[in-house]
Amino acid sequence: MTETKNNNQQDLVRYFIIGYWSLFWLLNVIDKIIGGAHFLFVGRDRFAQVERFFDSIGLEHPLYANVALIVTAGLEIFALVFFLGSLYYLISKNLDTARSWFFIGIGFTLATFTFFSIGDQVFGDHFELLEHALFWFIALLSLIVFINIDRIALPNLVRTSGKQRYAFIIVVVLLTVITTTSIFYHNHTTFIQRTEARSAEQISENNFKIQFPFLAGSTAFENSLRKFSKEHQKLQIDNIYTAPNPLRLGKSDGLIIYIQTKPKQ
Amino acid sequence: MKESKFIRYFILVHWLFFAGTSVLDKIIPDVYPLWVGADFYTLFVKLFASLGITDPIFATSALALVSTLEILVFVCYLFSFVYEVKDKKKAAERWFNKGISISLVLFSLFSIGDQVFGDRFTLLEHGIFWCILLLSWTVYSYYSSADSKKISLGSKLVIQSAIIVASALTVITSISILKFSESTWNQKKSPVVGVEIAENIYKFDYPFLGDKYTLETTLKTFEQNHSELKVNYIYTGPSELNTKKKTHMLLYIFTEKVTK
Repeated sequence: MTETKNNNQQDLVRYFIIGYWSLFWLLNVIDKIIGGAHFLFVGRDRFAQVERFFDSIGLEHPLYANVALIVTAGLEIFALVFFLGSLYYLISKNLDTARSWFFIGIGFTLATFTFFSIGDQVFGDHFELLEHALFWFIALLSLIVFINIDRIALPNLVRTSGKQRYAFIIVVVLLTVITTTSIFYHNHTTFIQRTEARSAEQISENNFKIQFPFLAGSTAFENSLRKFSKEHQKLQIDNIYTAPNPLRLGKSDGLIIYIQTKPKQ
Repeated sequence: MKESKFIRYFILVHWLFFAGTSVLDKIIPDVYPLWVGADFYTLFVKLFASLGITDPIFATSALALVSTLEILVFVCYLFSFVYEVKDKKKAAERWFNKGISISLVLFSLFSIGDQVFGDRFTLLEHGIFWCILLLSWTVYSYYSSADSKKISLGSKLVIQSAIIVASALTVITSISILKFSESTWNQKKSPVVGVEIAENIYKFDYPFLGDKYTLETTLKTFEQNHSELKVNYIYTGPSELNTKKKTHMLLYIFTEKVTK
């Protein structure tokens, strides 16, 4: 049997692991309960995602998506409850039972990600397959670390000399002041770009270019179109071409559109 | 049951399904009812064409080779699973080791191909799978030899309470899922209502459930409701215009007044 020592440093690592997985599943469950985007919670429209997956294999009826989501939610909730049980036993200093509860929680987690991976292959989504394989592996690795952490000698994180502590605080405060000043200054000067209409640059007789900053959203786009229509009342928009990524300069260009026009009849 | 046996099962079952569905994906090469999968044939033909090899025999042969390796892997995992169920630990380990070894060779071959074809994202994907395979093999081997702890969940009352709480939460979540499904399902068939954002320009904020049929219904309804307008042009708002994950798709319709 693995030799276990109830050491504070090792327990801290265990708290991090249980805390992470408890929050992971708690938020996933909340996401399913809330459903859709709301004020202060966007989450993911899982019903739409799963329904479209089933529709792609010819099962359009919402019943299939609902059943798949309920099975998934069940697995996630059982994982969450076992992680919370593990947390309770860890707080109660009953490491052996905490380990067993954590083990069952990880079992539900691994089963969930295996279930997702099968779905990813059926629905042909290889990006999600990679994502779920990574989560499956992270869950397995967390279990191995949770079980074997006592074999690793961890340095004490709290005890540092007074000199080091002061130097640390001074550097952190100084860097924080510089960084926050820079962030707030940037916000002060650029937030307007989020909605501000951009001017069009004429590049040939009937072609205009509008370059958007990274912050610009749909409102800036619509305001720019309105501005363009107002400034060019004799012209009618015939076509809009979005510059694809290969035409943009690395990561420094945001959205670029070309407006083709024709005289209004 | 001991922890080590569970861990071996978790790893084995995952890779068994992974290899099994990969083989199935090759047997079913296109989109059919109940199976979409990935179109590896098209992918291979395009990759070989990018090298200047347009004869499909090369792409087909490469795909057949890959499929053969995947079948070998699947059968190894299947044998390992059967022996694991029969409690023949040593034989299960041997077949699992064979399966993982061939898998590692397969992902190494994929990585070589990714370099040759210049696909760096897929190289990363295969690199990650290779690493996950290697590490899950290490964990499996470790738990095949190490002494293991028995799972003990403590008081029966606590376990029963946990199951009751989890079941109650599942019921609550299921009701919420069903309600959400019922309230949003109509978005799939209903036309999206447009907003005029500038003279003769309309914006349509698509719901996540919206698909090609929603677009068709939307266009038909728009034309019926605006018989005085002619649709000149449809522009799909690029992802840069979206509010991160909140927006699914923005569509702009440019129109002009019909002159009689």
